[in-house]
Amino acid sequence: MDMPTTTKKKLGIKEKYALMTRGLDWETTYQPMDKVFPYAKFEGIKIHDWDKWEDPFRLTMDAYWKYQAEKERKLYAILDAFNQNNGHLGITDARYVNTLKLFLNGISPLEYMAHRGFAHVGRQFPGVGPRVACQMQSLDEMRHAQTQIHSMSNYNRYYNGFHSFPEMLQKVWYMSVPRSFFDDAYTSGPFEFMVAIGFSFEYVLTNLLFVPFVSGAAYNGDMGAMTFGFSAQSDEARHMTLGLECIRFMLEQDPDNIPIVQKWIDKWTWRGIRVLTLVAMMMDYMLPKKVMSWKEAWEIYFEENATALFNDLARYGIKMPDCAKQALIDKEHISHQAWATFYQYSAVSNFHGWLPSSEEMDWLSAKYPDTFDQYYRPRFEHWAKEAAEGRRFYNTTLPQLCQVCQIPMIFTEPTDPTQICYRESEFEGDKYHFCSDHCKNIFDDEPEKYVQAWLPVQQIYQGNCFMPDADPTKPDFNPIEEVLRYYNLQNGRDNMDYVGSEDEANFRAWRQTSTQN
Amino acid sequence: MSYELTIEPLGQTITVEDGQTILDASLRHGIYLPHACGHGLCATCKVQVLDGEVEHGEASTFALMDFEREEGKTLACCAIPQSDVTIEADIDEEPDARNIPVEDFPGTVSRIETLTPTIKAVFVKLDGGATLPFQSGQYVNLHIPGHERLTRPFSLANPPGAGDEIELNIRLVPGGAATGYIHQQMAVGDRVTVAGPYGRFFLRTSRKTPFLFLAGGSGLSSPRSMILDLLAHGETQPITLVYGARNRAELYYHDEFVALAKAHANFTYVPALSDEPEGSDWTSARGYVHDAARAHFDNDFRGHTAYLCGPPMMIDACISTLMQGRLFERDIFVEKFISAADAQQVRSPFFKKF
Repeated sequence: MDMPTTTKKKLGIKEKYALMTRGLDWETTYQPMDKVFPYAKFEGIKIHDWDKWEDPFRLTMDAYWKYQAEKERKLYAILDAFNQNNGHLGITDARYVNTLKLFLNGISPLEYMAHRGFAHVGRQFPGVGPRVACQMQSLDEMRHAQTQIHSMSNYNRYYNGFHSFPEMLQKVWYMSVPRSFFDDAYTSGPFEFMVAIGFSFEYVLTNLLFVPFVSGAAYNGDMGAMTFGFSAQSDEARHMTLGLECIRFMLEQDPDNIPIVQKWIDKWTWRGIRVLTLVAMMMDYMLPKKVMSWKEAWEIYFEENATALFNDLARYGIKMPDCAKQALIDKEHISHQAWATFYQYSAVSNFHGWLPSSEEMDWLSAKYPDTFDQYYRPRFEHWAKEAAEGRRFYNTTLPQLCQVCQIPMIFTEPTDPTQICYRESEFEGDKYHFCSDHCKNIFDDEPEKYVQAWLPVQQIYQGNCFMPDADPTKPDFNPIEEVLRYYNLQNGRDNMDYVGSEDEANFRAWRQTSTQN
Repeated sequence: MSYELTIEPLGQTITVEDGQTILDASLRHGIYLPHACGHGLCATCKVQVLDGEVEHGEASTFALMDFEREEGKTLACCAIPQSDVTIEADIDEEPDARNIPVEDFPGTVSRIETLTPTIKAVFVKLDGGATLPFQSGQYVNLHIPGHERLTRPFSLANPPGAGDEIELNIRLVPGGAATGYIHQQMAVGDRVTVAGPYGRFFLRTSRKTPFLFLAGGSGLSSPRSMILDLLAHGETQPITLVYGARNRAELYYHDEFVALAKAHANFTYVPALSDEPEGSDWTSARGYVHDAARAHFDNDFRGHTAYLCGPPMMIDACISTLMQGRLFERDIFVEKFISAADAQQVRSPFFKKF
């Protein structure tokens, strides 16, 4: 038999990818496409030609498995070495472990929620290009959740506060901040989800989340956490380019999309900034060896990089979100306000609290010359004095929460750092409270969504945060202890001050054993 | 020592200096390779080495794994060639690119004409009746006689196939060493060398879309070459040139374009003056190129392929105007070099070419 002797040119990477992805799509015949993709239109985004989608990266499934498997082998080899060598005793100080508790409880579950979100939108886009890209990202996010949990599981053998993170995400008061952020994103339509997570979070804000944690791990001797950071970062480039392509695609497909996209960018930039309050506090107060201040990180990763991005987006008529103006003022304040809050409420938190040492306060003064000494140092010094006199201050009154970001109303007026910022709106006869103009605007645009918020403080007062056997009518009923029992928080071990904690005592003892006879 | 780098699927060969990365060399030659972090962590710039040796530099072991190194993958942002190298990158093929090899052409200055108070046309007759093969829109490097290391890029203003004489239109840059020499000292009979053709600014005729040229100042050279090229080949798509200058004295080849517009029904010429005295006899558009273009097309540029050539401020304003008129990056071509200074400033990765 004669073999065909066509001199066909070798396929380029792009053509190969098209055949392996877009070439596998088809138009349904026995069901209309609108019924196959029921969520594609209700948000008002108009798409005329899905073929104009430019694949931001080209990776086929077979290559994907191969790459990720190799990354896993490498990561787990390092984790094993770190764990077998008792790497946790090489960290700067066990206070550092609290940043891992914050990460495992507050961030890793978000990776899992991102996995679900991308799987969902990966099913809902009528265009095959974004469908494939979202499914790939969905797998990445699952991998990130798993590797983070595995990386930190070794700490769970030695330290308190790691034991019940999936349960705590659902129950512990401050966890409602990151959780409600993702709940909000994946209960929106597929296009809004892409702006929320794919663009605002993965592109505009991701460096502010990952760089501090990964560098923080490196600075504090945690090679395990540092390595999962690098491993995840090698996936992030794909995520960032997917977010950018999605924005570009929407803006170019129809001019009517521009105001909708602008509204979402405004909303999700602010939602993200509010969640990053936890990172700000981690950088300035929780890392024993500090990488840089929150303010410096904000200036590099938002003010410089995001400004360059928004200059480009201006060509489409997209403006820098208004909230960036407030964020510029807030960068001087939020870390201090947040840590002061966790200090007061560390009796009901699943990680420890402490006051900054005098050297740390000097570092903060130097990093925040315009605010720290004036507004925050006196407060910490006052609490230190109280604690020294045996009156360690635990706040036992539950705070009012913002209906949108769910952060306690701790933030101050942009124009006056001595006044708490309160905003409110009425909806169907009820009054709702907000921490800022921007959270209020988000509520006012979609009140029927945010009135459904599960607010931990309200839930406690309504009696929904007790175990079934709790009896509030008993004379010795202690509501705080009952809430901790419901949280599955080991009172006296997971919570309260670092100084005097089991973590502190164990770390000191183990380190001593590892270096002396 | 330097090496030759061939980039597939473009088929273009460029020179990489000693110690220079593949990415840096490509960007400086106007070839965009996908990239993001720029220091070996993210793997966006991963390419396949088809031939030759590279040093992987600072590439992270997660971004470029051992088995990939064995398969000949490398990260362009860190890879430094150790021999002549051929890579395959994840970039679009350009069906209209001819990838003409660069050569040196010695020649003699044959004519110098004053086009405007600030722009001269320098004609160079190539030795031995040689013709310089190029695609209209491309440029050459002119070696300034007597100055060993002084070379400047100038777009070819003549269309391809115009014989052994090339035309360069050169604006006097205040304080500029090369343009000062050309304007004040260069004379007919001087020996010069040009090297070329360079650049990826050429006609995308295979798209079969209407052509829109936006030119300002001495940025007219490439569009002129391209338009003459198109008309000589009987192009039937609509062709529009929006050309801006400060005032009537700075507007050159005006009569030629007026005549071309008369002779070719598919060619439209829209001149615009931004600083013409009130009350002069100028009856066409007043204002900047982007304003004239917006008015002429009623803010709707859809369906065109646009070619932009001129000073940076003009390019910037034109890109914004085109995008607000719904023409986007894939349909806009800009004659722009990514300089060392560009690489220093904080850029967002949103646009590839702008």
